[in-house]
Amino acid sequence: MTHVLRFVFSNYVYVAFASAIFIILLFGLLVLSEYVFLEPYLIGYIAPGMELGFALIVILTALSALVIPMNIYRINVLKKSKRKVTGSVFGSFVGSIAGACSCGPIGFAVFSTFGSVGATGLAFLTNYELPMRIGAIILLSIAYYTTIKSLKIECKIV
Amino acid sequence: MVKKGFLLGIIISIISIGVILIYSTSSVETENTDVRLHGTVSTTMGSSILGSSSAPITIVEFGDYQCHQCYNWFHNTKPSLFQNYVDTGKVNFVFVDLAFLGRDSPKAAQASYCAEDQGKYWEYHTQLYNSQESQIDNGWANSERLKSSAFSLGLDVELFDSCLDSGKYAKRVQYNVAEAKKLGVSGTPTFFIIGPNGQQEKLVGAQPYSVFTKILDSMT
Repeated sequence: MTHVLRFVFSNYVYVAFASAIFIILLFGLLVLSEYVFLEPYLIGYIAPGMELGFALIVILTALSALVIPMNIYRINVLKKSKRKVTGSVFGSFVGSIAGACSCGPIGFAVFSTFGSVGATGLAFLTNYELPMRIGAIILLSIAYYTTIKSLKIECKIV
Repeated sequence: MVKKGFLLGIIISIISIGVILIYSTSSVETENTDVRLHGTVSTTMGSSILGSSSAPITIVEFGDYQCHQCYNWFHNTKPSLFQNYVDTGKVNFVFVDLAFLGRDSPKAAQASYCAEDQGKYWEYHTQLYNSQESQIDNGWANSERLKSSAFSLGLDVELFDSCLDSGKYAKRVQYNVAEAKKLGVSGTPTFFIIGPNGQQEKLVGAQPYSVFTKILDSMT
């Protein structure tokens, strides 16, 4: 497993890509889920009872930062199918939107724009925040495992 | 001649009734348009003021009883804030409903005003945030549960039920949502902190106590 990771990330472009995904996704999710506040002061805060949500965001972001560049590598270097990258991007997307709206910084704006449909959507995202994030992590873990396996075979890594 | 007098009598009666109606309607409107402003924020239809009415700083919270971030703020930030600022007379506090998260949110907000009719707004407000469940619209804030909360607080249940069922405060809650929209509120909880010299700071989200102290101390 580490051989495959070393193989892909020996190219610094992929390291930079993974870092960019990790930083942007993590920061964006932490702001939307109210772990980081930008105004009036830049401050990070994990309220009691919100630790699990925070841990899930970090795991989700780390997995996305690993899986997406590996799949891009498969497409660019090995010219393989785009099916796996779609799955990993979908997993990242689902995990990202889970609970990101609700009564957070953009909840009422969504309601004002989309009315009762928006409110129903917000309620769903809030109610199933943790199961959605866990589901996305499972999806990304499967994508990670199958990508490692494929890369091992395709690149003949022992 | 008699016919003319009869017609004149009817016309005078109609005009008199009209004048009485217009007068009585306008007196009701006057009652409802006593505007309470904190900075640019109208809290006319919000809660009563909690804390000293002469406190130099006012915190206005726009919140939803089904919002879990409002719950977080209520349980994590509010206790220290009240202990050090509201209870000491430095700050007072107003809650304005922004009931949008689910179909039970407006009902819960209306229920708080029905409790206010019996002088227990803040007790009911606390009760709602203590009994909030993690799922929106899962029934914890439906009419039956709101009524049982009123019962457990010792309110006159018959009075409370008729108030809630009649939708007496539906327009009040709608007004508050419109007010939030006007102020550009984008989510709950959102706070407006209004200082003694008209300084106004907007805080979005369940921010920690340290952020509030920084702002409050800079205003005094």
